[in-house]
Amino acid sequence: MFTIKCPYCGERDQSEFSNGGEAHVARPKDPEQISDREWSEYVFIRANPKGIYYERWVHTHGCKKWFNAVRNTSTDEILKVYKMGETPPPLKEFKDTIKTPSGEPDVGSGNFSVKKP
Amino acid sequence: MSENKIYFKFDGKKYAGNEGDTIAAALLRNNVKLIGRSFKYHRPRGIYTCGIEEPNALVQIINEHNEPNVRATVKKIYEGMVVKSQNRWPSLKTDLGSINNILSPIFSAGFYYKTFMGPKGFWKNVYEPLIRRTAGLGKPPKEFKSKSIHQHHNVDVIIVGGGLSGLLAARKFAGTNYDVLLVEREDTFGGILKNADKIKSINDQPADEWLEKTERLIRNSNNIKILKNTLVTTYNFSDHLIALEDKNVGKPQDNEKPELVLHKIRTKHTILANGHIERFITFRNNDLPGVMLAASFEKYLNRYGVVPDESPVIFTNNSSTFSLLKSLTDLGHKPKAYVDIRDQKNIEKQTLELLEKFNIPFYPKSEIEGCEGKKEVKKVSIRTKKNQITKIKTSMLCVSGGFNPDIHLFTQSKGLLKWDKDYLTFKPDRIFQKTITLGSVSGNFSYEKLLVEVEKKLSEFEGLNELEVKFEINGPEKFQIKELWETKHEKKSLWSKSFIDLQNDVTTKDLRQAVNEGFNRIEHLKRFTTNSMGTDQGKISSINALGIVSKILKKDISEVGTTTYRPPYSPVNFSAIAGRSTYEFYDPERKTPLHSWHVKQNAVFENVGQWKRPWYFKKSEDETMHQAVQREAEQVRKTAGILDGSTLGKIEIKGKDALTFVNLMYTNSFTKMKPKTGRYALMLGEDGMVKDDGIVCKINEQHFIVTTTTGNAASVLAHMEEYSQTEWPNLNVYMNSITEQFATFNLSGPKSRVIMSRVFNDIDFSNDQFPFMSFNNFKYLDTEIRILRASFTGELGYEIYVPPSYALKLWQKFFISSRDFDLVPYGTETMHLLRAEKGYIIVGQDTDGTVTPLDLHLNWMIGKKKKDFIGKRSLTRSDIVRENRKQLVGLVPVDKTLGIEEGQHVIEQKDLSLPIKDPVDMLGHVTSSYFSPNLNHSVAMALIRGGKRKIGSRLFVSTENLNTIAVEVVEPNFIDPKNERMML
Ligand SMILES: [Zn+2]
Repeated sequence: MFTIKCPYCGERDQSEFSNGGEAHVARPKDPEQISDREWSEYVFIRANPKGIYYERWVHTHGCKKWFNAVRNTSTDEILKVYKMGETPPPLKEFKDTIKTPSGEPDVGSGNFSVKKP
Repeated sequence: MSENKIYFKFDGKKYAGNEGDTIAAALLRNNVKLIGRSFKYHRPRGIYTCGIEEPNALVQIINEHNEPNVRATVKKIYEGMVVKSQNRWPSLKTDLGSINNILSPIFSAGFYYKTFMGPKGFWKNVYEPLIRRTAGLGKPPKEFKSKSIHQHHNVDVIIVGGGLSGLLAARKFAGTNYDVLLVEREDTFGGILKNADKIKSINDQPADEWLEKTERLIRNSNNIKILKNTLVTTYNFSDHLIALEDKNVGKPQDNEKPELVLHKIRTKHTILANGHIERFITFRNNDLPGVMLAASFEKYLNRYGVVPDESPVIFTNNSSTFSLLKSLTDLGHKPKAYVDIRDQKNIEKQTLELLEKFNIPFYPKSEIEGCEGKKEVKKVSIRTKKNQITKIKTSMLCVSGGFNPDIHLFTQSKGLLKWDKDYLTFKPDRIFQKTITLGSVSGNFSYEKLLVEVEKKLSEFEGLNELEVKFEINGPEKFQIKELWETKHEKKSLWSKSFIDLQNDVTTKDLRQAVNEGFNRIEHLKRFTTNSMGTDQGKISSINALGIVSKILKKDISEVGTTTYRPPYSPVNFSAIAGRSTYEFYDPERKTPLHSWHVKQNAVFENVGQWKRPWYFKKSEDETMHQAVQREAEQVRKTAGILDGSTLGKIEIKGKDALTFVNLMYTNSFTKMKPKTGRYALMLGEDGMVKDDGIVCKINEQHFIVTTTTGNAASVLAHMEEYSQTEWPNLNVYMNSITEQFATFNLSGPKSRVIMSRVFNDIDFSNDQFPFMSFNNFKYLDTEIRILRASFTGELGYEIYVPPSYALKLWQKFFISSRDFDLVPYGTETMHLLRAEKGYIIVGQDTDGTVTPLDLHLNWMIGKKKKDFIGKRSLTRSDIVRENRKQLVGLVPVDKTLGIEEGQHVIEQKDLSLPIKDPVDMLGHVTSSYFSPNLNHSVAMALIRGGKRKIGSRLFVSTENLNTIAVEVVEPNFIDPKNERMML
């Protein structure tokens, strides 16, 4: 229910985009040289934090370009978008970003509309 | 008041109302009080409120597709409207379900969870049908074609609510540079100015006059858009709101125009000025028709000119009921009694003066103990300050338990609440988004402070108008209230109940029982009792429940907390959500260039993704599907058949690094492949599982055309784009979908070479000149076509790619040129049968995302010398190379007359004697099965554990009626195992 600023087309409705999961998970350069475990971690394991998340999006119903975004998963706020290949913004850039909606704990859903004393 | 009478029907009887009346207003005008029966106990219920918060008066609008659960207090009447009461049988006055009221001990809190536990089979055959008959609300609507639409807005400011506060805010913004949307849920602005007689004058003019001027000013400003009859239902994250507009208020439905508009609003700032809701007080039989909230009663007087009762009893715990007293006495009516729980010395002098002036029986420091009556209130019992019960005859009781700021939207936006100890209510505390609350929704119940509040909270905006507003107030300025959630009541008969949730029939006794049983967290308690879970979401009662629970738990109410308010604020019609995306607009239909020909040939179509594909062709009216498919499949192997393969995905890949890229995308190696040849290729996911298959055609090292399965065309292209943009952006490669640029014919059968030579008599189709898996481009008329020699049936075959506009003529030419061979058009079912005879897989039918090329014995398709391709590394993972993975095999029934069913289990044991005590070891399942007309028995494919090693053995396949069929496990290649036919 939010908008995303495609680095190529500008701000568009979320419904035009598809999410591509965690960003900066590089495909191993030489897959044959790594262990089953290392390879499986690349294929199957992704982070799923509550809070700041670096992820990939594609403008499916638009320019079809892939790009990166930094999103706060607990508020759905897109904090930054940048093109593929560009250096990701450091985490400290978002240290003043409110982490969770009012009243919610850092982990778990919370659902508090009255602040717990 | 308008003199135009409007006639409508309620439960078959004709009534007259005035223009602008809601159903409830019109029924009250006709002195009708019994409106429906309650959810669980089938108790008689009437009209409790005068607005959207109504828990009781829900009706069914018969002439609007049987629309259920319509609030009689919101829906406006029109000529010819047909309304019915709900949840009663056989009639409203004699309702057999009310026996539930006597059986109520079994319907107490958590009864769904506790009562219907057994014996086995009782839920399905006894309990569920019984509950469905007696519990519930309206009947589902009839199917209809909605014309609802969606509309999008992008504004600087949205003002929710066109009452006094909202209008003041809009007045500030009028004519400025801000783009403003003003949304009002009723058909007129004014809110409290229209509902009650609380404000005598504004700027020394009558409130109505000020309202009219203000509306004109706002309307004439060019920066404010007004939406009336529009309810904001949702306040999402990131300043996104959703509102539902009713286009047919007070009018019958128009078959040409949209009846509902769903507005999707993006804004920079949200001003909530959506007011407050009055709450009730619980006492014995507080649900009887005739009990009504005090402010609602006053709204009927002021807004609709309806006097629900000329002499009601008024019961209050706060100062707001002064204005009801004033409105009634101004009209010359005299309340039966005024019952106030507060001490006389705490009651406002204006109220006391009125009571004295009109000599109204006055009971300070007293409360309503309960009321009596069968179908409506006849008597009320007052517990006086001396703790004595006095009974008064009356037909109506007006109740005020205080006010709740309407915080629903505010909390949806994730704003935080706090408890106001003076006003005994939750009010907004901390905002989470760019939200401003104004007026009573912010917890401000003072008109004098309103102006200061508006000025202060809007000071962040630049260039707003100056406001000059002076109010003259009727009655007490300061709101004053004393805490009371439930009155003390005497133990009466089983029929006596004290309700906390009128719509879901939850009593205060249920709350106590739930807490006793350990449900002391408010979210648990809500679900266990179903309190505030009705369509009204407990708008008049949920805070009362918190009050009662906090008393039981001996906790502060803010410690108990509220339950979560979730969108929508009020039920939204599915038709509005669906908008135009229904019926023919639900999903596009894609048709091939040959579609009209197929229709003429009596094709029966199958949906494949969005495509309409011929499934089989009916040769005569009485030919069955089985007969048609057997006929088509036989003819293909006898002479030739032709399939419309236009839906096949086609992707063109170009660029300096095209070869490298194609080598990475598919398992096969394309390096040594000669130009103008094709290769059957597999695409894997990075997990090593088969994702798609197709034919890769190499035009040269920088130019490829690949085909995909019909259903995967879009996802394969997206997969390629993803890798080219994210993993290998250094590769120079471009992809383009050319699916719709070509119609594709698949000609197949021993006579196909002859037919090809007749259709294209200047092309040499000999084995030397046109070997298997080669292709070339040819001039055809004034265009170019491509012919590929390939086969998906195991027969000699050709694929012809032709621009769509030439397709139909060329297709017809095939039939004209092959009359002596009875060339047969065949559909997808025959295609599936023919490929199964050859053991060729269908991705998605014989594979399911857990199947590797090794499981399919397609090792030969893996370019082992290639350094890398997507999924390669996974093929050597320990789990992928393990011995007993499920692998593809062929199955042939031992008794050749028997058929095998797709999806059945493959097992080792012959007998499944009933009852089955021990788990049966399942080896796998049948993925494809057909009766082969060419072999005259069934052939099947199955994925079974350790399948490769089981070839040659005998296993069993379960059947629908728990028998088994003995099968031989064979290589999945049933016909022409040496592939001689396609090399013909
Ligand atoms: Zn874009």
